[in-house]
Amino acid sequence: MGQERFADVVERFTQGYQVPAPAPEVRQRWGEEIERAQRRMANFARLMLDPVEPKTGPTARQEVFRKNKSRLYRYESPRTHRTPLLFVPNLGISRPYIFDLLPGGSFVEYMTAQGFDFYLLDWGVFGPEDNGLTVEDCVTRILPRMAAKVLESSGAAGLSVLGYCMGGPLAASFVATFPEVPVQNFINMAGPIDFAKAGLFALWLDKRFFNVDRFVDVIGAVPADMVRAGFKLLKPTMDLSTSLNLWWNLWNDTYVEGFTALNKWANEYVAFPAEFFRHWVGDFYQQNKLVRGELRMGGRRVDLSRITCPVFVIGAREDYIAPPACVKAFLDVVGSRDKEYAELPGGHISLIAGRGAATHCWPKVSSWLARRS
Amino acid sequence: MDPNAASQQLFDLWKRQIEEGTQAWARMMAEVPGPGAGAVDPTAFWRPLMDQGVATWSRILGQAPASPDLMAQWKQFLDQWIEAWSKALGQAMGTEAFAQALGSYLDRWLLSQGPAKKASEQSAEAMLQALGLPSRSQVTSVARQLVELDERLERLEDGIAALRRGRDGKESQ
Repeated sequence: MGQERFADVVERFTQGYQVPAPAPEVRQRWGEEIERAQRRMANFARLMLDPVEPKTGPTARQEVFRKNKSRLYRYESPRTHRTPLLFVPNLGISRPYIFDLLPGGSFVEYMTAQGFDFYLLDWGVFGPEDNGLTVEDCVTRILPRMAAKVLESSGAAGLSVLGYCMGGPLAASFVATFPEVPVQNFINMAGPIDFAKAGLFALWLDKRFFNVDRFVDVIGAVPADMVRAGFKLLKPTMDLSTSLNLWWNLWNDTYVEGFTALNKWANEYVAFPAEFFRHWVGDFYQQNKLVRGELRMGGRRVDLSRITCPVFVIGAREDYIAPPACVKAFLDVVGSRDKEYAELPGGHISLIAGRGAATHCWPKVSSWLARRS
Repeated sequence: MDPNAASQQLFDLWKRQIEEGTQAWARMMAEVPGPGAGAVDPTAFWRPLMDQGVATWSRILGQAPASPDLMAQWKQFLDQWIEAWSKALGQAMGTEAFAQALGSYLDRWLLSQGPAKKASEQSAEAMLQALGLPSRSQVTSVARQLVELDERLERLEDGIAALRRGRDGKESQ
């Protein structure tokens, strides 16, 4: 092509491009595409002009216990399995209704339909009066009480515990610190254990670059907007791809309904109590005390090898918040002989919420637990 | 003229221009002292993207007449583009240089934020006091007392439950 001008090439290209009449099949598909475009516009107008508040949390539940801001909910189910399941999600960051988002797209709904007596611990939204709350308080004061209430209200002799995200290390610390609590099964789902392998957050929160004491001393509780900024920074292109996928699927009413609910959740960030954040970043991320066995809670050493019940660990292949390696490390430190690891497709959220989760994750959790409940 | 050949020619030219641009960028990056092993390699990042993009667009415009697949292919192209940027940004943000820059930025922000926050809190407190209204710290203090009270009640409940268990145990013996 040598030194030809770009404009000459473009002209030759457009002249040489002769368009024959389209085949009927192509015409029909163009018709469908135009119809989709019209529906996209209609849904777009509806989203902009008449947005409907999505109804989340479809599974019936009752509040069993409340402690300060935290609530323990028990969901309705046929309760065919004897051992109740206590679900421990993350504290702060986001609200737990993602686990019971929409009918047909809810982890809670699935598990209750499988006959599990499902309890959810909602840590709640903490205010400035809770700035003194620490990780130790959660592990030694809130979790034991919640577990006791699960046993009390279910009348069972033991319980299963499922920790998701930050709930994984918190619940693991609790089970390891209180071996007298009859925990029969433990599931760590996307919960970071070896923080040296915790990806970008581990690097950014490294004590060489981030002074957690100064941070907490100046700002106190970590506000929701700052939590949002941290998570957005992890994946800066996320909003762009979300918008693109929305536009692409905007013709599909079911997708739009799911998107609206998920989007509501994804933009509802929750603040961290000040001391909790100091303890969480300092002991877990910066000093990696949990996996090194150096963590002390309630005057006892948190020794993960004291967890001897059956353990199931689930990591997500595309998880950039808790990469699989830092989750899988749990298997190396627990004392259990019955232990299993599964690495499933999806990211940190899509591991447990959404269509992929319904196919890959929920049946796995249910079948592993059912055999032991 | 064969439209496929024309489109191929167009893309060859486009690809060459992008490649030259990338090489220039790579040369420029090489001149800047990088943060070490974590430095981003722009050529490695761009090449697969360019090859995929060129192949996709050659295929799309080689079709005559334009098919509705054009939309899907355009979406695919955008997805790849976003993914490529995500990878590149991930690489850049995964370096110690970035973590250090982020930490320094945060430190500077805290240095300015600290005194400003304190001053605004003090002035708000003074204003509320002048108006005879409870300040934020007073409300927080009351809420904290309630939380502590709640804790004490729970400890009492625990104590009573332990006593009951002990009594029941003795009675059953």
